[in-house]
Amino acid sequence: MKTLFEISKSGLAGAQRSLSVTSNNIVNADTEGYTRQRVDRTPVGYNSAYGNVGLGVNISTANRLRNEMNDQLTNQNRQDLGSMTYKNQVFERLQAAMTTDSGGDLDVRISSFFDSFSDLANNPQDMSVRNSLLTEAQQLSSKLNNLDQHLVETGDLIAQSTATTISDVNTLLAEIYELNTSITRSTSMGTMDSASLDLRVQKLEELSGLVDFTQMTADSGATEIRIGGVRVLDEEKLLPIKSEYNPNEQQLFLRISGGTMIDVSGGELGAQIDMYENDIPDLKAKLDLIASTIVSEVNAIHQSGFGLNDATPRAFFDPTGVSAGSISVNPDLLANPENIAASTVSGEAGNGSLAAQINDLRENGIVNGRKLIDFTIEAISKPGAQIFTLSSQIETKEAEIAMLQTQQERQAGVNIDEELANMIQFQNSYQGAARVMQTATELYDTLLSIV
Amino acid sequence: MRVTNKIVFDSFMRDINRNRTQMAEIQSSLSSAKAVRFPSQDPVSFQRSRAIEEDIRESEQFQDNINSGLLQSRLAQDALDTSIDDLIEIKRILVQSSSDTYSAEDRSNMADQISGIRDSLIATLNLSYGDRYLFAGTNSGTEPFTLDATATGGVADTSNANALQVAIDNNVNIDISITGAEIRNTDEGDFFEIIQNIENALRNNDGDALNSLLDGADELIDNTTDATSRLGNNIARMEYMYEQYENTKVTQNSEISKLVDTDYAEAISDLQQNQTIYESAMAVHTRMFNNSLLNYI
Repeated sequence: MKTLFEISKSGLAGAQRSLSVTSNNIVNADTEGYTRQRVDRTPVGYNSAYGNVGLGVNISTANRLRNEMNDQLTNQNRQDLGSMTYKNQVFERLQAAMTTDSGGDLDVRISSFFDSFSDLANNPQDMSVRNSLLTEAQQLSSKLNNLDQHLVETGDLIAQSTATTISDVNTLLAEIYELNTSITRSTSMGTMDSASLDLRVQKLEELSGLVDFTQMTADSGATEIRIGGVRVLDEEKLLPIKSEYNPNEQQLFLRISGGTMIDVSGGELGAQIDMYENDIPDLKAKLDLIASTIVSEVNAIHQSGFGLNDATPRAFFDPTGVSAGSISVNPDLLANPENIAASTVSGEAGNGSLAAQINDLRENGIVNGRKLIDFTIEAISKPGAQIFTLSSQIETKEAEIAMLQTQQERQAGVNIDEELANMIQFQNSYQGAARVMQTATELYDTLLSIV
Repeated sequence: MRVTNKIVFDSFMRDINRNRTQMAEIQSSLSSAKAVRFPSQDPVSFQRSRAIEEDIRESEQFQDNINSGLLQSRLAQDALDTSIDDLIEIKRILVQSSSDTYSAEDRSNMADQISGIRDSLIATLNLSYGDRYLFAGTNSGTEPFTLDATATGGVADTSNANALQVAIDNNVNIDISITGAEIRNTDEGDFFEIIQNIENALRNNDGDALNSLLDGADELIDNTTDATSRLGNNIARMEYMYEQYENTKVTQNSEISKLVDTDYAEAISDLQQNQTIYESAMAVHTRMFNNSLLNYI
């Protein structure tokens, strides 16, 4: 009869434990990275002469219901998403600088510049036409200067922000390292540190937005992380990342503290390096090509012509400035607009055929066999075209991640209704166990009253 | 299948966000009347529309050229018309004087008249537009015709043979005036020389010479009329080209509109559809989210 007390005691303890796990599940229903837990209960009994006799219920540890494989897949997708989102942001800023819906973009500047030459051809003697041509040429130069400046600044900003990203990565790695330690300790003691495990899921998720890595979990419960194939974190050691930045060559290197170079291609950090080393220099090269073509083509014709005053050949643009950052109008012309050459013959004031020849350049395939304006339109639309491609890719990735998250959530997420139902069930089993104890007490009372 | 509260909530948030994004797009397209404002919305249409805008700007520049050309060539035409009136007057005087009834004194008066007409012809042909002399060829910075007793016909000439031109199409230029040479070189010899000969014959009271100059006087009128009508042809051609550009622009503008402008009917029906989706999402969510076992225990 004594077993009745044991049985009810184990029932009470089991119900209490189950209730506490259920309550914990309910309050953590919205906690990021939280994994639903279940108490596993097994019956206890022994074999006696009268057959198997039950001795109550045994509580094994609470189980985490989480699919690790799913986490890894989701993180891989997050690495891609992190990279694409970052690029998208930078391209949006570049697009805003290069194309507006209010006019005055580079293509319009170029075409106004040529229009002014056409005006000059109509009226080579009119000083107001010459002055307005100079104004247009200056506006074109400063537009190119500004765009170039914007690209350089964006590049520098990206290079600087890698430092922040790298320090974030290092912090996360250090945190994961700490969590590893605490997890391996409890694993060796045969228990499970579910709070640390959940926190590690959260940290790995954060890390995957910043950098691409592969992850392996050792038997000890520790996570090993490799970035670009190089091990930066395992049970024993943690190797922080450092960056080296070479502004002249437009290069960014990453090293771990041992000195090994690592190659990052995903996450925000991968996007930063790729933008800095490739996308920004590509755009800059396009602008430089536009500037150098304008300078060389216009100068070649302009130098063969004659101004109103003398027969001295002059360049229209300063011949030393052949990049988007350095293009500028020849100061000789600014000082005296009569020095602008419109004529093919010296001394013919009404001859505008040279100016007409310069205007004809807009129809010629002078940039890689293409019209200057077409090349320009393509160049300034480049960031927008990238955004167009990226946004559909981002949408796909987000859908994929959402699907994976839903799958994980089905297994690891908390359904409050379910937990509430469990709560009632455990409450009942508690009441049942208590009733067993009450009955046992009454049985003893009956016996004692006989005495 | 287990459906947790988070699954329901997350998918609700995703749907609402997508709906919001679409709403923002529709709003931008309706309020700006442009469906494509930035290349990221549709890179192909954006680039195509910008390329057509460039074509339009080019057409407009040619129209500007034509306007400038028309203004100058109409001025030149007016000047030539005035000259023709003067030349007709010269011929009238010549015909009148060739009859023998006039005395040497009368003829001398007529010679003075001719000389006066020549001076006014020079003034007319020195016509300038701003500081540009329209009959000087491309040497238009200098007044072309000046009196000079040593020069042919008593009139010195600094004009050259290259007519003033404007570009009316790619690599197509049109003369907007005629050159001094075209006016002066007639089939009967130099323009001013003929006039000078008439004046001299009158002063010399030489009836035979006057008779022989009648053909010359006719040729003066014919040559100038020819020049005027050539200029008239160019004016007609420029006007025609102007209209052509105007027509092309209409087509080009409608092409741009098709590429980047908002289709209002479509945008508004999209808006209504989106609104319905948004409202039902809200209604369903608020109702579903209240369903909980908590209401029953």
